[in-house]
Amino acid sequence: MADHTERIEPAAARSFEGPLERVDDTTWRIPRSYKPGMRVDGLIFADDRLIPQLRSDRAPEQVANVAFLPGIQQASLAMPDIHWGYGFCIGGVCATDPAAGGVVSPGGVGYDINCGVRLVRTNLTLADVQPTLVQLVNQLMRDVPVGVGQGGRFVFSPAELRMLMAEGVPFLASRGLAAPDDVACAEAEGMIAGAEPGFVSDRALARGADQCGTVGAGNHFIEVQVVDRVEDERAAAAFGLHVGQICVLIHSGSRGLGYQVCDDALRALRDAPARYGLELPDRQLVCAPVESPEGRHYLGAMRAAANYAFCNRQLLMWQVREVFARMFGRSWESLGMTLLYDVAHNMAKIERHVVDGVAKDVCVHRKGATRAFPAGHADIPARYRAWGQPVIIPGDMGRASWVLVGGPRSLERSFGTTCHGAGRCLSRTAATKAARGRNIQHELERGGVVARCRSREGLAEEQPAAYKDVDIVVDVVHRAGLSLKVARLRPLGVIKG
Amino acid sequence: MYEICDHTADLGIRVRADTLADLCADAARGLTAVICADPTVIRPLLTESFAVAGTDPIWLLYDWLSEVHAAFEVRRLLFRDVTVTVESKGLRATARGEPYDPARHALAHEVKAITQHELDVCQTADGWEAFFIVDI
Repeated sequence: MADHTERIEPAAARSFEGPLERVDDTTWRIPRSYKPGMRVDGLIFADDRLIPQLRSDRAPEQVANVAFLPGIQQASLAMPDIHWGYGFCIGGVCATDPAAGGVVSPGGVGYDINCGVRLVRTNLTLADVQPTLVQLVNQLMRDVPVGVGQGGRFVFSPAELRMLMAEGVPFLASRGLAAPDDVACAEAEGMIAGAEPGFVSDRALARGADQCGTVGAGNHFIEVQVVDRVEDERAAAAFGLHVGQICVLIHSGSRGLGYQVCDDALRALRDAPARYGLELPDRQLVCAPVESPEGRHYLGAMRAAANYAFCNRQLLMWQVREVFARMFGRSWESLGMTLLYDVAHNMAKIERHVVDGVAKDVCVHRKGATRAFPAGHADIPARYRAWGQPVIIPGDMGRASWVLVGGPRSLERSFGTTCHGAGRCLSRTAATKAARGRNIQHELERGGVVARCRSREGLAEEQPAAYKDVDIVVDVVHRAGLSLKVARLRPLGVIKG
Repeated sequence: MYEICDHTADLGIRVRADTLADLCADAARGLTAVICADPTVIRPLLTESFAVAGTDPIWLLYDWLSEVHAAFEVRRLLFRDVTVTVESKGLRATARGEPYDPARHALAHEVKAITQHELDVCQTADGWEAFFIVDI
């Protein structure tokens, strides 16, 4: 007969005891001498406030392990929202040089390929929304598919899915499900070139058939927010943000299709390290040279899944617009519900960067990390280019989220990358234990947040105490010059799975 | 026997059994318990058969759990009673359960994948033990 008990592993069993050398007040180094096999140093962006928690989970060990990867350039990096993951830590960043045998590793992207966020503006104020906030959140919960086992109303045939994965958000635009600016204001304009839908398995297609336009569960959500504070008036104005403005944050990814693409890749790459003579300290760093059949296959499938995720967030935004239109009796256009930007925080991309004075194409892995290109970069939409790329950082549902802008030192220090969120500091079982005897929903409501969650475990596991303080994480990346503060938003209502 | 363990962002499942076959069956029940809040309400209305090839116990367990996971993800099937037979080149399993019914089955977690992280299957003095982590 099956038993079911919960057990907490001792914290000491998981702590990192290796060297963390202070470089400056926002940067810590794991020297390559720490472990034989490290090709470069590890560099973690953090400050004194985060170091104790950082040491208490073994994520820095994973930063050191990533430094083993062939072709790795400059350093194995991690952002201040770092926590333990599979192979790569969450918050992990590395760039490999394909021309030097550099590898691509699915663990450096994550199971949820192109998990990301988008922020939707409105011309509504807190006064407009507050009287009907509960009804608004309830309507979002009814009309936008969220939670485990929740299929959506957009069901695509395998042929349509392949077109969607090849073309990204422009495919939806051709179906009347995306406006021109929805394409222009997404990272990569909602379509990563080089997608190979034919590399996506039938099982992945089956998992994704009815999930495009669904939130999912876990840490995914849709949140109604108000701009609480502006730190950079001119950038905020350029981004169309002002204090008291209502916005909607959407956090989701490639759903079951993307998870299966990663799973398929891990299976296919199982023997690749041995075939290519790669010695890895962790099985979950499985990888292959970018310029290999296996590497090209993974990247082609990954790009297809990434485009599915862009479309997922686009359809979620479309449905949110419909809810607001119904609630306020006006079209979404007249409500000013335009897209500020959409960013990915689980991705591998070939980008041109300067390494040791030489411009080269490198494969940048961002796992729980966001691209943050500075002012002037050609890949930023023209309307924002003079300011830098908008960066959207979801916090936890009790405190805050942030809009940042790509910082002046991001290219030099982190391959144009910044953090992605708050980062977990409590495990799911620890958070559930901490929630016993408490009503998290009522606690949030007393704090002014209307929360609706499909599963009873969801709120407990995702409670604010389970996450680091995003204000600290954002402060570190600001001081490090990776991305600069523009505006802080606080949650008013959230729907979760 | 299975128990759900701690992991920063996800859930680990530790399994102990007398035989490798029972280990695989209990692992499947543990996975179901992560997906479905109360597996006892799952009714044995239909029977599904599985065959998984492999000789390495670690990959056999991993591939078997991936099939159980896919049965829910693709066909929305939840299993209550699982019987596994391990043979020389793989395993065969019979699982009894029913299609997911939102009115009766409260879902606890969305399991994205069975991960390979800290994946382990080993023989002990008392039988067999396994550990795996599911991505939530």
